[in-house]
Amino acid sequence: MRKETREYKFDWMLWNTFLAASHMKNGTDKEYRSALKYIPYFNRILEAIFSPGEPGKKFLEACAKYAENIVFAKERGHKTAVTTFCFSPAIFYAMDIVPICLEVLTVMMTFVYRRGTAEFLDYCNEVGFTETSCSSQRGTVGAYLAGIGTDVDMFVTDTPGVCDTNANAFSFAAVYLNKPFFQLDMPPDLTDSRTNEYHREDFRALIRFLEEQTGKKLDPERLKENLLELEKQDEIIAALEDLARLVPCPLPVSYNFMIYASRFFFAGTPEGTVVLESMLKVARENAAKNISGLSGGVEKLRSFFCYIDHYAQNMQFWNMLDQNGICYQGNILSHFWSHNAPHVAHYHKEEAAYKINTGNMDAIIDSMGMINSRMPMVKSIRGPYDAPNMWLEDTLGLAKIYNSDFIVYNGTPGCRNTWGMVKLLARDTEKAGFPTYIMYADAFDARVQSWEATEERFMEFLKVRRLV
Amino acid sequence: MIKQFFEASTVINNKYVSQWKKNGKKVVGYTCSYVPDEIFHAAGILPFRIRGFGSTDTTIGDTYFGPFICSLPKCMLQLAGEGKFNFLDGAIITPGCDSMRRLDECWRKAGGDIAGAIPPFFFHFGVPHKFSDYTIKWFTDETRRLIAAVEDHFKVKVNNADLKKSIKLYNKSRALLDRFEALRTMDTPPFTGEEALVVIIAGTTMPREDYNALLEKFIADAEKSPGIKDRVRLMLVGSANDDIGMVRVIEGTKALVVADNLCFGSRFYTDRVEEEGDPVFELSRRYLGHNDCPRMYGDYQRRLGILEQKVRKANIDGVIMQNIRFCDLHGAENGLFERDLEAKGIPCMRLEREYGPLVETGRMKMRVDAFIERIQQKRRAVA
Repeated sequence: MRKETREYKFDWMLWNTFLAASHMKNGTDKEYRSALKYIPYFNRILEAIFSPGEPGKKFLEACAKYAENIVFAKERGHKTAVTTFCFSPAIFYAMDIVPICLEVLTVMMTFVYRRGTAEFLDYCNEVGFTETSCSSQRGTVGAYLAGIGTDVDMFVTDTPGVCDTNANAFSFAAVYLNKPFFQLDMPPDLTDSRTNEYHREDFRALIRFLEEQTGKKLDPERLKENLLELEKQDEIIAALEDLARLVPCPLPVSYNFMIYASRFFFAGTPEGTVVLESMLKVARENAAKNISGLSGGVEKLRSFFCYIDHYAQNMQFWNMLDQNGICYQGNILSHFWSHNAPHVAHYHKEEAAYKINTGNMDAIIDSMGMINSRMPMVKSIRGPYDAPNMWLEDTLGLAKIYNSDFIVYNGTPGCRNTWGMVKLLARDTEKAGFPTYIMYADAFDARVQSWEATEERFMEFLKVRRLV
Repeated sequence: MIKQFFEASTVINNKYVSQWKKNGKKVVGYTCSYVPDEIFHAAGILPFRIRGFGSTDTTIGDTYFGPFICSLPKCMLQLAGEGKFNFLDGAIITPGCDSMRRLDECWRKAGGDIAGAIPPFFFHFGVPHKFSDYTIKWFTDETRRLIAAVEDHFKVKVNNADLKKSIKLYNKSRALLDRFEALRTMDTPPFTGEEALVVIIAGTTMPREDYNALLEKFIADAEKSPGIKDRVRLMLVGSANDDIGMVRVIEGTKALVVADNLCFGSRFYTDRVEEEGDPVFELSRRYLGHNDCPRMYGDYQRRLGILEQKVRKANIDGVIMQNIRFCDLHGAENGLFERDLEAKGIPCMRLEREYGPLVETGRMKMRVDAFIERIQQKRRAVA
């Protein structure tokens, strides 16, 4: 790692960068345009985020707030927990613990750093990770292993049974930094009574762990408040998903990321709700005018990504879709499994979704357990891909409800679990009538496959399959 | 006698399996050491650990699996697709790791494309990733689910009395293997690491009664042997390794693998199943709780302790930590072991490799030789 990279705490840098970014539109448009020249590696992303107007500004403010919470956690007397994107942070907020979500921070760094997170990725390998480990965790955990992040108190993940490389990154880092570790484990089934009981017991064990680490008892009223706020967020997300079914889709390309990042950052807190409310307002205005969220205004194709985004290299992925008139109907991360989500009502079973019940403490804890066990990825790839409620059913249901023209898989070479079954999934989605493309890029690391090669192959797929 | 073990561990459809099948009895394969063999023994079925050795390419494996996947399940699927496992009447797939658990779908789909590639009984057996009261309960229920499926498919009855007899028989094996390990770790071990692996693996591919009888004789003979002297004493740890040739390459003429912590090695027989109480619960408790695989997250310190104990007990000069490419669980844990063991003055070498036909013998030999030289230099410096 270069000496200058170690010069500043990486989370402090992120906080300052996003705080400054959130102020970019405070002046005149001329001032904004002039300032863009000074951030050549971040300006394209800023343009995309700001393009929907107010939601972009609110989203950047939320990013800055998230980083600020991490930077000042200790000064404010909070414990910190390194966690994963598919772990609902509501329980942390209810216990005054500041969550540090590795994957979302990796994306933020990928946005703003010229070299992305390459130095942190490589640092992980220097201290013992395999180079085949997932880049989504390595991108940020490398900074913590190198000691250039805020002090970490514990590691908490819910990916055992879902993703080995994810869970392994957490257990490795906990040992390396000598910190307590807790895992929520996921059985291969989702809905049977044994699984429900397992989730319940496991979540209670998590609460005991968090109480032990913080020295405080869980306050049921705080958790209830968070769950009620989460319920509100679910309703907004459901409304956004409903709007996304319109042709043309009124949601801009960047919305997909903003939905799930808001949820991963601030589940059950007003900071997340503010962003989502603002997004819904603009989407409704677009829908009322029957206009597409794409910058060109013409929707030529509708795409559904059955796994994750491609974030590396200035998010040129967004530009590619936008400039080619391809509406982005989201991915596995942006669709939540609340009972009121449109895709649940149309294509999925009620027991595969969660419903928030704040009636009593047991109901609250059970609701939290249900939410966590149905988080993106945790729900869909825990069992055989073609089993009920799993990846194939979810993918086809979502692709159908959004009237997608094709399906794309993108991940990282570290995603052992999906690489073990994606060829079979693609075979089945093709049979179901969806041209399906498997990308071989790394979502977070452009050194694996350059953006130019990624784009060319993507466009070649569209041409070969006569989609354009 | 070693010839019999060698045949049992290096021929897929070995003479014991053939004889078993000729007698009209059933064979069920499994892919991971979390499956309790005793259940099948009690049902009159031969439990057989599925491996990928002998596969000469992975074209079938690559058809179903993606590119960033461990070569072990790919080789297993290759052999299944080539009909090498046609003698199996059933197969159990466990989520030992993400690569291995997807053998479930890949094998099922290959079975649809290639006639006879999939055995008639095919079962996905869940295994939790941690050990606590509620995970044992879940695993006990899962074991009962497996038993019910075996009973239903094979029209057999697995009762508690038979299970207890099987537990006793397998515990006897484990006791014998403890004696075997005591010989292996002596100052002058009576057999090589290659032979040790052959003997241990044979236990996963032949009827247990025959195995115990052979093992007893082998131990009795070994106790009379003068032993092998003046070799660098190594321990082999990491990913699943049933490659006898790899141990041969490591040992060469200068070294001896006198201990291991492999799921095809000593992890297979350490610890007993409690013989009193509910046999299904006791089996579940032993198999979930006493298997030292990094898939059991958050248990690193205990596993490190096991290695340190083995280093002391077997007077180890150096530890070779291997992982199959894309095995991040062992690969990353090897990184931590290396840090902690080297800090205590124990020389370590990390080695990434491919499983089976792709093993690069020359590169591996060169690295191992350099490691042995490092140990010998250290010895000379101390002397």
